[in-house]
Amino acid sequence: MTTMHFSYYSAFIISITGLSLHQTHLISTLLCLESMMLSLYIALSMWPIQLQTSSFMLTPMLMLSFSACEAGMGLSLLVASSRTHGSDHLQNLNLLQC
Amino acid sequence: MMYFMFLFGFCFVFWMVGVSCNPSPYYGILSLVLGAASGCGVLVGMGGSFMSLVLFLIYLGGMLVVFAYSSALVVDPYPAGWGGLGGLVYVVGFVLLVLGLVVMGSFLCGVEGFGEVTADGVGLCVVRLDFGGVSWFYYYGSVMFLISGWGLLLTLFVVLEMVRGLSCGTLHSI
Repeated sequence: MTTMHFSYYSAFIISITGLSLHQTHLISTLLCLESMMLSLYIALSMWPIQLQTSSFMLTPMLMLSFSACEAGMGLSLLVASSRTHGSDHLQNLNLLQC
Repeated sequence: MMYFMFLFGFCFVFWMVGVSCNPSPYYGILSLVLGAASGCGVLVGMGGSFMSLVLFLIYLGGMLVVFAYSSALVVDPYPAGWGGLGGLVYVVGFVLLVLGLVVMGSFLCGVEGFGEVTADGVGLCVVRLDFGGVSWFYYYGSVMFLISGWGLLLTLFVVLEMVRGLSCGTLHSI
């Protein structure tokens, strides 16, 4: 495990911890998801460089496109929840259950 | 080059801590953009310049939309930064987590070598590794290419249905 491997492992663990801990805004949790995706992208594009296999370079591109789907869905859910609940605080989603 | 790689890797982890420690969304998105730029630096140092270009153009271009969105959504005149006791507790906790991971990793696996193997580590090549690798999309990966394009198109319609309106869209059934 080189230091570059260590950097994205620790970035992923930090992001998933920040996702699971208490966040104020819904968009902060979406940002934590995006940072998890960023560390996964760097990991997936660093492994083929180290293994010298060019065909595995497809996987980070595929993951980037699917994470674009995920980000779009997250933002539309944010819009929907801020329209039905008034604000995007995560506390509101607990308080105003319907 | 080792020192640059170490610097970019450190900045990457540092800005991920900045995203995760529950700041205002202004500062969160700023940390995410700077962390993505540091990740681009890491990839350039490893030799994957095309992957870094894709990350910088597409990912940061998408992040610009999210940035405008979050800054329009949060209308606090004085956004809460990383300051205060709560944010400090988060930062100290994450720094301790990273230090624990360093100690554990150096005991278990041994942490050494900054980016020893790069894209042209085995010698000169005609086509760079990442340029040649992504071009497999049009040959072996064509099915996955079509599937991901179909997924993006589906996401477009799903988002349009989600945000269409309170009277007739998906939100009407809630």
